[in-house]
Amino acid sequence: MRLGLRIIVLIKQVPDIEKVRFDVETGRIDRSSAPAETNPFDLHALEAGLQIKEKLGGSVTVISMSPRQAESSLKDALARGADRAILLTDTRLAGADTIATAKALAAAIRKLGEFDLILCGEKTVDGDTGQVGPEVAELLGIPHAAYVCEIREITHEWIKVVSDMGDKYLYELKLPALLTVTRELNSPRLPTLKDLLRAKRSQVEVWTADDLSEYVPLDQLGFQGSKTRVVKVVIPSTEHRRGIMLRGDEAVEKIGMIILSEVLGK
Amino acid sequence: MREKIVRELESIVGAEWVVSAEEAVEGYLYDETPIPVRPEASSDVIVVKPGSAEEVSRILVLANKHGVPVFPRGGGTGLAGACIPTVSGIILSLERMNKIIVDVDNLMAEAEAGATLRDLIDAADKAGLSFPLHPGDEGAQIGGLIACNAGGARAIKTGVMRSCIKGLELVLPTGEIIRLGGKVLKNNVGYDLMHLVIGSEGTLGIITRAWIRLQPRSAASATIVIPFERREDALKIVPEIFRRGIIPLAVEYVERVLVERVGSNLGLKWPCTSAEYQLIVILSENSEDALLGALESLLELCNSSGALEPVVAETRKEQDEILRIRSEIYSILKPDMVDILDVSVPPASLIDLIRTVNELEIRYRVYMPVYGHAGDGNLHIHLMKWDGWTKEKYDELRDAIYAKAIELGGTITGEHGIGFIRRKYLERVLDRRTIELMRAIKRIFDPNNIINPDKVFP
Repeated sequence: MRLGLRIIVLIKQVPDIEKVRFDVETGRIDRSSAPAETNPFDLHALEAGLQIKEKLGGSVTVISMSPRQAESSLKDALARGADRAILLTDTRLAGADTIATAKALAAAIRKLGEFDLILCGEKTVDGDTGQVGPEVAELLGIPHAAYVCEIREITHEWIKVVSDMGDKYLYELKLPALLTVTRELNSPRLPTLKDLLRAKRSQVEVWTADDLSEYVPLDQLGFQGSKTRVVKVVIPSTEHRRGIMLRGDEAVEKIGMIILSEVLGK
Repeated sequence: MREKIVRELESIVGAEWVVSAEEAVEGYLYDETPIPVRPEASSDVIVVKPGSAEEVSRILVLANKHGVPVFPRGGGTGLAGACIPTVSGIILSLERMNKIIVDVDNLMAEAEAGATLRDLIDAADKAGLSFPLHPGDEGAQIGGLIACNAGGARAIKTGVMRSCIKGLELVLPTGEIIRLGGKVLKNNVGYDLMHLVIGSEGTLGIITRAWIRLQPRSAASATIVIPFERREDALKIVPEIFRRGIIPLAVEYVERVLVERVGSNLGLKWPCTSAEYQLIVILSENSEDALLGALESLLELCNSSGALEPVVAETRKEQDEILRIRSEIYSILKPDMVDILDVSVPPASLIDLIRTVNELEIRYRVYMPVYGHAGDGNLHIHLMKWDGWTKEKYDELRDAIYAKAIELGGTITGEHGIGFIRRKYLERVLDRRTIELMRAIKRIFDPNNIINPDKVFP
């Protein structure tokens, strides 16, 4: 008799993307310009984990690889109902690209021991790659489904999901498996005030690179282990539609000019 | 005559800023007042859109010369019919005058009257500051917000519109341009005409520019939804919140049946499903620690006062969604609404007011949706389209609620104003001599009764 599912949710703290300022010159995000919060997609992953736990029993463990400040996002996850929160934080993990991030997360998951289901948001709103989740699945050698917008059925052995890849696909995956989820999957719950205050007073577990050394060579982590480099960041300029008010004869003349310049331009 | 006035107006503002075709003026005739109580607008109007205080002045001189009424118009978001042209005349729309300059060192915005609330919020945000109030629809314009002394949800900490205004540029009904106050915070010279104009609902002059006090952004905020089994329980704890030293940005009362309906219309889920009657408390503090302290104190209060399990939103998106749902309740009720009441009582008397509402519901066998600014003692009680109800019956119910509010030391309108629709009740709240003084003031400002006639006075 199994005792419920061991669920792991991967989360990241990101700047509030609607408020944050971007330095076009240096290609850097000015993190002081906006408050940090949990990547919105990850809240849907957490909600999915909590709903499955409520249905089948088990536990939800949240992991984040981040600077120390991301503790607040982990505490938020505890407040919403996660059972355990682990922060991977170490300067040796900093500057990681997607593969180096995935290696650190996969190592942490191995260290945790056996698991049944890993859930992630479809992507982060700051990096926007959508790669880390599937990479973690590959490193752990388990099946994954990306862009999951519906969980049809779940048992202790398998899960049936709808993946939205433009067209919708129905997948059945054998557990353990990894899912990346979309916003359409559910509406994340708010924590109760009581749970929020309890979580704010609690401590999250902190793991460093040394805690992972048994599971991954440390030179494969962080900046050193990254195979890609950000060389340049370009923000495409946005062209807005413009309206011009024209009246009478002036209008005829002006429209003629515009048409002519278009024709001659070509 | 009409043609002559159109030509003269065109010579003041330019032909493109005078609108007189019937279908083109249609969008300028009404505001958000519920249709069953709003007056019929005259469609024999000319809309004029001045670009400066000088142009406003010349328009008013012209109106005085011909004896033509002028109806000032902002964003058209009012709920008392204050901007509706009840007779033929000129609609003066300030929409072109929409510039805002922020003086960061003095925490002051200098805004033209036609700038919208959204423009002001954005301008403050861009300057790293904030405009603390949220007086309703973000399409409302600064001139209208001031003329109607708007309130809204976030008036607890900083007060209503009046308390943010430090100066006005005003065009008098007779055309003179005057300036009252400015960026100065303390000013004791003479009678305070600025505060007389604030809340005068466009009857004493045209506000063309304002100096508005801004605030630094707060460091930490949270929105808490507290559920209760009974209306009385929800409203009873409101004074307790303040007594404990918690001064929230907003304390709003809502009913679950309403917010869930709005949520499903907007594709959002209301986050608190546990009881019918709920308070939304928005906390805004200068540090995470201060926020934590306020949250702890609030939880203690909830535990000792019969509240069910409160939930709390901390991310901006989740907080915004709650406020957005709250802000849209009026829109979903409007199609089936006869009137939105705006009674305001001393906050500790809210419980007596709501008991009367409950009794009236039983006596008349109806549900009156209630929501509003519980922290300010200002509730919106709605009269809906009920089968078989006559105007007399609605009047009877409205009268009973007004009578109770007045008995409790309250008033018939906390923020929406008298406008057109509450004129007949003015004498219920104010004594004869007070109304005489007000009429005399109106005559001094506007000897020919040119600006917004038919408003405020019965």
